[in-house]
Amino acid sequence: MNNLRVFVSSALFSFRAQFNWLNPPMWVTMKFVLSFSQMAFFVFVGIFSGGGGGGISYVVSYIAIGNALQSLSWNTVFSVIQITTQDKWDGTLPLVLATPANRLPLFVGRAMVHVLDGLVSVAISFIFAAFVFGVDFVHADPLALAVTVLLTSFTMAGFGLLIGGFSFHFRNPMVFANIFTFILLIFCGVNFSVAALPTLAQPISYAFPLTYGVNAARQAINGTSLLNISPILAQELIVGLVSIALGYFLFESFERSARKTGKMEAQ
Amino acid sequence: MPNTLRVIYSAFRLAMLHWMADPQWVIPNVIAPFVFTTVALTLFKGSGGPFGLYAVLGGGMMGMWGNTIYSSGFAIEFEKWQGTLEEVIAAPSKLIHVITGRSISNALFGLTNMVAVLIVGTFVFNISLGISEPILFTISLLLTLLSVSALGLIFASAFVLSRSAQTLTNGLETPLYIISGSMFPIALLPFWSHPIAYILGPTWGIDAIRLTTSQEYASQTFWVGMGTNSALILDLTVMMLITAAYVAIANVLFKMVETRARTKGTLVEA
Amino acid sequence: MSELGSQGGSASGKAIVAEHLCKVFEITRGMVRRRKSQVVALKDVSFEVDYGELFGLVGPNGAGKTTTIKILTTMLIPTSGRATVLGYDSQKEVTKIREKIGIVLGGERGLYTRVSAVDNLRYFADLYGVPRNVQDKRIKELLEFMGLSDKAHSRVETYSKGMKQRLHLARGLINDPEIIFLDEPTVGLDPEIAIETRSMIKGLVEKGKTILLTTHYMFEADVLCKRVAIIRNGDVVALDTPSGLKKYVMETSVVEVEGFGISEKEVTKFREMKDIISISADLSENKQVLKIQTPKGSEIISEVQEVLKNSHIYDIKIKEPTLEDAYLKLVAT
Repeated sequence: MNNLRVFVSSALFSFRAQFNWLNPPMWVTMKFVLSFSQMAFFVFVGIFSGGGGGGISYVVSYIAIGNALQSLSWNTVFSVIQITTQDKWDGTLPLVLATPANRLPLFVGRAMVHVLDGLVSVAISFIFAAFVFGVDFVHADPLALAVTVLLTSFTMAGFGLLIGGFSFHFRNPMVFANIFTFILLIFCGVNFSVAALPTLAQPISYAFPLTYGVNAARQAINGTSLLNISPILAQELIVGLVSIALGYFLFESFERSARKTGKMEAQ
Repeated sequence: MPNTLRVIYSAFRLAMLHWMADPQWVIPNVIAPFVFTTVALTLFKGSGGPFGLYAVLGGGMMGMWGNTIYSSGFAIEFEKWQGTLEEVIAAPSKLIHVITGRSISNALFGLTNMVAVLIVGTFVFNISLGISEPILFTISLLLTLLSVSALGLIFASAFVLSRSAQTLTNGLETPLYIISGSMFPIALLPFWSHPIAYILGPTWGIDAIRLTTSQEYASQTFWVGMGTNSALILDLTVMMLITAAYVAIANVLFKMVETRARTKGTLVEA
Repeated sequence: MSELGSQGGSASGKAIVAEHLCKVFEITRGMVRRRKSQVVALKDVSFEVDYGELFGLVGPNGAGKTTTIKILTTMLIPTSGRATVLGYDSQKEVTKIREKIGIVLGGERGLYTRVSAVDNLRYFADLYGVPRNVQDKRIKELLEFMGLSDKAHSRVETYSKGMKQRLHLARGLINDPEIIFLDEPTVGLDPEIAIETRSMIKGLVEKGKTILLTTHYMFEADVLCKRVAIIRNGDVVALDTPSGLKKYVMETSVVEVEGFGISEKEVTKFREMKDIISISADLSENKQVLKIQTPKGSEIISEVQEVLKNSHIYDIKIKEPTLEDAYLKLVAT
């Protein structure tokens, strides 16, 4: 019961922290602007490039869907890293870790708010994709798409926990947050397929849950059923769970070493 | 009364020293332009046409934008975090000159993205970039840098005068990349957005820079049918006029900043 | 003495003139519902400082000392009232004042910690328009004067607190100012460093500088300042030399005598003396202690010795009124 309470309170804390620097109207505006502009940028680049082999409308559709899914990385990867490492930066970490609350519900609770926020981002992005860039959603399988988006939100939050746990050991965690949020644009089949990358680089793509999610989303929008995309989703789930486990381990290892060396504040 | 150019140079020098002390802080500001450019290079691969040009120059441009929005925007705040703001205001030099030096340095650091993209472009994507008019290229680049710096002054003062300005700029980065025609011609954009592009000084600057780089570009410039040299002169003239307007606006804003600091005793918009 | 600005009309020839300074701040609180309130930092502050004087402004935290300094140094515009520095108006002739004054706001701030002392000084020298050919020499001299020559090229973040304070002071002198404003210069410093800083400040006055100092350490004002203004809640409640202030407030000293062989006879004699306000005696077997209250201070000692010439005196202690006593009395009422 205590775990649930910790979960809910840290979720609320995360939510309020987000609103502290933005009022609700500003938050909504930012969502629309951010979702739209990144997608628009790459769509135009795609159009300018002539569309490659598949033609312009294929490229536009490819890029729009890819960016729609990637848009949740701000709310998941970036925000999760920010929230979990914020304590270190603010100097409140020793206080937080000193509470008997079990670590996992605490941090996971905080992450969950961002998961929900990410879902809103994706929804808004899909609207732009459909009405501004003409992506065809008519044949989409709604269940498959919904499950894909939900799952990807969750796995990317887990990925955020992993990067957060890793960057915790360093002086400037937010530099990593920046790098990893953007690097997804290159490696996850967001703007072009993984095959377009140099051969040596391709395996990296499969360490990111987003790669699977984008792939599954495209198929779902094309009409593939949930059953038929489930192999991809299963792989994604595994990668996500591994991320969470690794992330948890990295946080714990930091806490253990911090207890030994006394280094809890931002250096 | 301290010499204006010396104050600007001194602030520029201090910013350089700070950058040398912590070079990694430029990364978050240019990571977005760098990644965006790399994606563009991948999408451009095998398409023919002067895409390498767009990617490298556009990448440099976006790097300047990115670093200007964030670093210059926070230039005055930076003094506050350092605890030196009051000492700087108390000096007889004008605050706007101090921030100009910093803003110029920020735009310059943003150009490092161009170097990074050039390296990646040459070795990974095999693009080859020749500059047909090196001297004119350098002049155009420097003038564009000044234009971006002038915008940086507006950001710096706006950030301090209004908390909303700070939040709004979070969403400003990518729209600026689009509207400035850095990575693709403005012609691709819907017609109603063109006026916005044209009031941005650097939009003309990037056109000028491209003109000095490649003969192929001459057909895509804003001033089609005018001949390269005329187009170049027009670009630079328009840009400098717009930049002068930016400087005038910045002067007004900085006066407001100083008045507020001296009346309220604080620069934070409560 | 430097030429006084004929503009600004300081016929009185004073370095600093504060006339009925008043400052009201408007504070807006709250993020969603904004509530405005007013904070009166200064009500009515007036005083004058002569050239070459070391003038002190003392008062508790929040009394208005820093606000006063900020107005005098052009960093703040008063709500009403007028400040004239070196003959220039602090609102209309801002640049002229800024060129000629030095400001040290205290603490460890005011320095760029990621660069060296030399770089810091050079930067501010440029902001103050110090000519290039003068800069090198002056920076070298200042660093020597402050004992920082060895570490001149190290990053300021490697400096100790005392070193940072000294560099801060050097920065305040970079334009060879005529007036130096020091806001709580020794707060937070270790005693040895504080003593060093005070002697440096004295040295500056000996060189002909005018100094306005704020502090909430009374003994510091006592030891350094020619005149002191006591500020409380935005008003000047007293302005005088330290000894003047002390006299105003406490007319008596207490002389404590420890001795042997003192009897009631001597006590009665003291009671009859006209300069003794009161006397309390603790006459036990082995040791007698007398506490004598007198307005005379240390002048009374020879008389005491005369009265007690047939007894043994182990120790005589005199508690003179301190500036601290004066301050407490003025600030508490």
